[in-house]
Amino acid sequence: MSFVEKVCVLGAGSTKYGKLADSIADITTQASVAAIESAGIDPKEIGASYISNVFGIADKQVHIGPVLMSRLGIPDKPSLTIESACGSGSVSFREAYANIAAGFYDCLIATGVEKVTHTGTEWTTTYFAYCSDFFYEGQAGASFPGLFASMARAYLTEFDATEEDFAAVAVKNHDNGVLNPKAHMQKKITVDDVMNSAVVASPLKLYDCCPFSDGASSVILCSEKFAKEHGGDYVEVIGSGRGGSPAALQGREQMTTIPSTKIASEAAYKMAGVTAKDVDFAEVHDCFTIAEVVDTEDLGFFDKGQGIQAIREGRTKLNSDISINPSGGLKSKGHPIGATGIGQVVEVYDQLTGKAGERTVKDAKVGLTHNFGATGASCAVHVFQSV
Amino acid sequence: MSIEEQIIENAKEGKVLTHKCTSCGHLHLSTVYYCQKCGSKGFEDAILDGTGSIATYTIITVPPAGFEKYTPYAFAVLQLDNSELRISGFMGGIATPDDLPVGTRAKITGFDERGIIIEKQ
Repeated sequence: MSFVEKVCVLGAGSTKYGKLADSIADITTQASVAAIESAGIDPKEIGASYISNVFGIADKQVHIGPVLMSRLGIPDKPSLTIESACGSGSVSFREAYANIAAGFYDCLIATGVEKVTHTGTEWTTTYFAYCSDFFYEGQAGASFPGLFASMARAYLTEFDATEEDFAAVAVKNHDNGVLNPKAHMQKKITVDDVMNSAVVASPLKLYDCCPFSDGASSVILCSEKFAKEHGGDYVEVIGSGRGGSPAALQGREQMTTIPSTKIASEAAYKMAGVTAKDVDFAEVHDCFTIAEVVDTEDLGFFDKGQGIQAIREGRTKLNSDISINPSGGLKSKGHPIGATGIGQVVEVYDQLTGKAGERTVKDAKVGLTHNFGATGASCAVHVFQSV
Repeated sequence: MSIEEQIIENAKEGKVLTHKCTSCGHLHLSTVYYCQKCGSKGFEDAILDGTGSIATYTIITVPPAGFEKYTPYAFAVLQLDNSELRISGFMGGIATPDDLPVGTRAKITGFDERGIIIEKQ
């Protein structure tokens, strides 16, 4: 593969994640304006938009792209809305990345959004299950917590792990989220809090699960030439990879590994010319505590079955061996599913340009984002470095 | 009959309809149209007994719409006998993990509004 242009992230912004009162169009615009102002660009410099969203229908607005472009004063500019379940954001980022790398555009905006909390738990549980391989999974009563709970039970059966170990992932991510003013769940929790919370899908309890969140995140991508001419803070995208997995858990060789993560990260590392050891911090897809354990193994940070030991020893805490989810992750920061993958890039931008405040990963040069759809049926991984 | 309808009819008989690749012999659930191993499109039907052991499962207490009246219930992944294939389904009457240790012998017994039905053997 050869590309015409190096790609950079020139600006980033997010709404708060949580239960938001404003409409989906409003929050999409708020995050986009924040990213434009962060980049210090004129909206007219934006060539097109990539919008990631799954359930716009819940807030009576699909085809959000043209609405955003109209509100940004550039109704003549094209947009594309992308759905890839909970991985929509990273896929949208990848499409924007590819279009700049190929030389089609100098500057693009990628904005992710979700607005679902007003629909209630039954609606979200029901509709999110449509992201599974429905004939085999959703149709038989599987919820998303249920699918990851099945992965968790497989992990407990295969490796030396306990439910308390999974709980430690939630505790760590809440510790980080307390330091993030945009986080949905800005409160510390204990292992006992997790263990005593209501069972959602055994063995996963409420505090093993990320919340349903509203929120929007946005980034400005551009060519290196554009970034240099512009003069603001920027970070470089040095690796981009995508991968797929059998859609249903039942079809995977091992139910404790997500193949798409391995495929996507191997591609991204190769393009970046780095290995997992070179990564200083990572925003990984911790929709459930088990997911973070599996992710850190599939991304190559720990050997298979050792991710749980790393959690036990605190090796993934902020400013330890490798800081995993300094933002608080999906678990504490929140999971507005269309926005999550873009929100991870916002965190990397803030970290690598010195804007992460109290949760700064010290001396970080290389950051990674990992975001997947459904039980990892689709995945994108990106690697970034400071300039 | 569509392929999904054929799977359902077989499930009602306690069977699993699979596709065996005529080029490399790899076995798939019959919703697969091209071999995931060799890419070939030639398949022959192979009907397996829907018996096996529970590979993993969860007990759902916060259900999607339509499953409230069955809660709690298990969503289970069944490892089929004499095959590397697994298939998922609904198991009623499971309230605690003690009711269903991993490895429990189970079989497909039907299909209804709860999808493929699995019961303990």
